[in-house]
Amino acid sequence: MLFLLSWRNLARRKRRAFITALTVALGVFLSVTFTALGDYSYTNMINTSAKMGFGHVTVEAEGYNVSPALDKRIGGVSDILKLIRGADGVESAVSRITGQAMFSTASRSVGGVFMAIDPKVETQSTTAFLGAISGGEMFNDVKGRGAVLGVKLMEKLNLKKGGKFVYTTTGATGDLVSESARVTGVFKTGVEEVDGSFAILPIGRLQGALGYTDDEATMVVTFIKDHRNAEGARAVLQSALSGRKLEVLTWSQTQADLAGHVAVDQAVNYIYQFLMGVMIAAGILNTVMMGVLERWREFGVMVAVGFKPSRLSLMVIIESLWLGIMGLILGVIVTAPWYVYMSRTGIDLSGYMQEGADVSGILVDPVLKFRLYKESVVGILAGVFALTALAGLYPAWKAGRTNPVDTLKNL
Amino acid sequence: MVGMDAKFTLIFAILFTAVAGGHCLAADKPDGAARAKEILDRVDDMWRGKSSHAVLTMKVATANYTRAMSLEGWSKGKDMSLVRVTSPLKEKGTATLKSGSTIYTYLPKTDKTIRLTSGMMSGSWMGSHLTNDDLVKESRMTEDFDSVVTFEGKRDGAYVMDFTLTPKPDAAVVWGKITMTLNVEGDDYLPVTEVFYDEDMKPSRTIVFKDIKIFSGRRLPAIMRVTPQDKPGEFTELVYESLNLDVDIDDSFFSISRLRRD
Repeated sequence: MLFLLSWRNLARRKRRAFITALTVALGVFLSVTFTALGDYSYTNMINTSAKMGFGHVTVEAEGYNVSPALDKRIGGVSDILKLIRGADGVESAVSRITGQAMFSTASRSVGGVFMAIDPKVETQSTTAFLGAISGGEMFNDVKGRGAVLGVKLMEKLNLKKGGKFVYTTTGATGDLVSESARVTGVFKTGVEEVDGSFAILPIGRLQGALGYTDDEATMVVTFIKDHRNAEGARAVLQSALSGRKLEVLTWSQTQADLAGHVAVDQAVNYIYQFLMGVMIAAGILNTVMMGVLERWREFGVMVAVGFKPSRLSLMVIIESLWLGIMGLILGVIVTAPWYVYMSRTGIDLSGYMQEGADVSGILVDPVLKFRLYKESVVGILAGVFALTALAGLYPAWKAGRTNPVDTLKNL
Repeated sequence: MVGMDAKFTLIFAILFTAVAGGHCLAADKPDGAARAKEILDRVDDMWRGKSSHAVLTMKVATANYTRAMSLEGWSKGKDMSLVRVTSPLKEKGTATLKSGSTIYTYLPKTDKTIRLTSGMMSGSWMGSHLTNDDLVKESRMTEDFDSVVTFEGKRDGAYVMDFTLTPKPDAAVVWGKITMTLNVEGDDYLPVTEVFYDEDMKPSRTIVFKDIKIFSGRRLPAIMRVTPQDKPGEFTELVYESLNLDVDIDDSFFSISRLRRD
């Protein structure tokens, strides 16, 4: 009865109700846009970051994360890999050796970073460098002398494909060790600092050079289906590996810069959306309040004939909720095609962005696209209802205080 | 090994002395290689002392500055050396210690000793055209090359021998090859030039030895000039003022605590 009454009340001012619902729809549109852009870009950056070295969850020697050094290594890697690969939610796990090195040719010496991998177990879903190879190929001998270098590092070293270079690093016992390698491929991620300092080397060769056994590495990196479950996966792996002197860390711990950027960006996004919500709520409040004030006499009559003030308040709140529902429906109608287009095609801003723009060494995708997490959808829906309900509270309170005698006397 | 290192070291002396031994190998090598090894080993022996103490000056000329500094250095075997700056005053006390494949630098202004990491190996040593990596690698290069005599006879009135050193296939060296010329004067083999080539066999760095003097009863070049090919006009020149070979130095001399002592 109250729902029908509220609906009819709104129907008496169709244009006003429609414009108010449109305001709510605009809010939904903007909220989806901002949230979906964030959800897509955060997921993209976190997954790319994971594929550039540390995975979503990393198992490494104690203290390595704070002070990386090649003497901090983990043993029993094959057992750890078997254990991790059998855990729920884990898509893949690989062992790696990463560290600093000096790369030298006859003409130049350049300081940089290496990541030693087993090419037989790495795929494009575990390393971003495979997909970024712009010339040549990934080496295939895990104990060979092949190497894949960043395109800028090749330029700095005056190297060509097939060229020889020497890398020098600090071994497991603290001594400097050197090895020669030949370039089998070159990658281009677009990030200057990565392309200018990064080399991919075969893990078997590094194990020998550094004085590691075949079952030692600096880390085991784990990839999970959804990065938001990293903390849960960390806890599972921590429990499974308890008793060993290891640290199990999530991407937000190994990639603290990126995690900080995401957190700040998310916070700013939430503040924008909150302010936008306040403005939309003010619009709804205005509409409902006008509706209450212009029906002052009508409310007086209703109370005079026995309509309870509390039901009057409830009616006004329901009117607000109706506006919210209409706005939501209108919002979905307006936003759906936009969302479908943006999630499938997106907007390519590469023409307007500087090439190689990055955040903490992670390339910023120049194509704006949408992705909405389930919790984001729930959040937007809950937010719209909460705002419309809140906007109706004051008018409802005002309506509930209707005094029929005073109201009718002032006529 | 090798002559090459040898000389390099030799002059360089103290430092990274060591003239490492044994150059390339073996009895099953062809005659040319075996002979080259024999001569280069002899050159090594000539240069090498079990230990050394030297005083030298290093001049560095780059496109942006020219500077000179006086150095004093000690070495023992292939792996131990200590070099200390004695002037100019603002850099006095700065010291470099090489122990095996590890290098430490002492900075008196901050009273800090730094162990050089791999990332720091590409840095210039004391502002010269030599890198920290050159110092570490020096004694190792002897094991990494095969050598042959490519010319022997009179040239410009002097009896000379040319050697070509080519890196072994898996050797961790950046050079495509190294050529070296020796002047043969009686029983003495005196280095004249060494040219380091890149992988494309283009000259990358040249070392010229000159000003033969007698140090500890041996005839040795007192000046070594390193010229990078890609930086015309730039050079680093090491001038030996004194060099005493086979001096009595204890291993404990080459310690971090000694590094700090002026």
